Formats: sequence, structure tokens, C-alpha cells
Amino acid sequence: MRTYELMFVVDPRVSDEDVVAMTAEYRNMITAGGSTITAEENWGRRKLAYTIDKLNEGKYVLFYVASEVGKTALPEVEHRMRQNEKILRYLTVRTDEDLKRAARRQPAGGAAPSVPREDHDILPLGIDTGADEEDI
Amino acid sequence: MARARKVFFRRRKVCKFCADKIDYIDYKDVKLLQQFIPERSKILPRRISGTCANHQRPLQQAIKRARHLALIPFTTD
Repeated sequence: MRTYELMFVVDPRVSDEDVVAMTAEYRNMITAGGSTITAEENWGRRKLAYTIDKLNEGKYVLFYVASEVGKTALPEVEHRMRQNEKILRYLTVRTDEDLKRAARRQPAGGAAPSVPREDHDILPLGIDTGADEEDI
Repeated sequence: MARARKVFFRRRKVCKFCADKIDYIDYKDVKLLQQFIPERSKILPRRISGTCANHQRPLQQAIKRARHLALIPFTTD
């Protein structure tokens, strides 16, 4: 089982309803291709770090996808996104290998999340930095 | 005569990801990545940040992914 994350940025001039419609279309494509969507996030309007096509904002949508080896519609979805002028950016990332590696490094309890953690402030773990200062 | 012993302390750098036990560096975590992109938005080198090689590599990858999606800038002008 492989897991992927597919994020894309939509032109902010597209209305929210249309974004939902587009999302539904891609969702159908993904599920029709034999993959399952484990989670979905709509970040809504967000400021871009740099201008793309003279636009300063974008609407972010994120899919978490799981699929068996060789059974995925993601290449087709990417192809469609490339042709869609309303999509400013998209990115597919395969995450299962990295998450597995992270989980192996941390066998005790704190298994790596498959769903994003919003804040990293919940990882205090008072590391003893007693030997922090070093005499040079 | 032995040369004068310098008496200053240098703070030992610790890899943030080792210390905080962050094993999966997420490109969506802008707040975390921002700590490693100083003013000019370049990727902070290991020798400055103290990040270990095993973590600098995924960090670099995550920063580049975030840049592609315009979550963080390539450069500031």
C-alpha cells in the first residue's frame, strides 16, 4: 500500500463552489482509478509567497490518497491538472516510505502521523542539555 | 610557555529535529520550515543551524516542495 499527498493551488478568482466542484471531479477520478482518499483538506484562500501569473493569493486543496501498487489514477489526475488553467500549482508526494522510516526511528508510542499535525509545539520533551556549553 | 587559554564559551549546536524527535519533515509545516530560511530565503546551511546530515536532507527536500507550492518564497527582493 502506497500513500500519497496531492496538493493543488487554484486561481483565487474561481468561486468557492467551483473549487468544490473541481475537487469533487478530481476525487471521482482518483477513486475511479482504484485509489482511496483517506483525508481531504481545504485550506481556502491563502497568500502566496510569490506572485504566480500576477496573482497574490491562491486556494489550496489537499488530498491524502492511498492505493495499491500499480493501481492509481494519479498520473491522469496530474495530466488533467496540467491542462487546467485554473490550477496554478500542483504537487504529488509519495509519503509511505518516509512515514515508515520515521515510524521506525520512533518505535515507542510516538508513531509518525499519517494526518498532519497542526502545531509542533506539542513536542517539548525536556532534552537534557547539561553538556551544552563547551570549553574551547 | 603555553599560549593563553581562550576563555569563551561557544554554544554547542544541536540538531533541532533530533532534539525535538521530529522524524517526518512535512513540507506543509510552514512554521517549522521558516526557522531554516533566513531573510534572503536561502536554505540555512548545516554549519550554521547545526542540523545533522540525516535531517538536513529531508529538510532541504521539504523546503523545495513548499517553494514549489508558493508556501514559502524562493527569494525576497
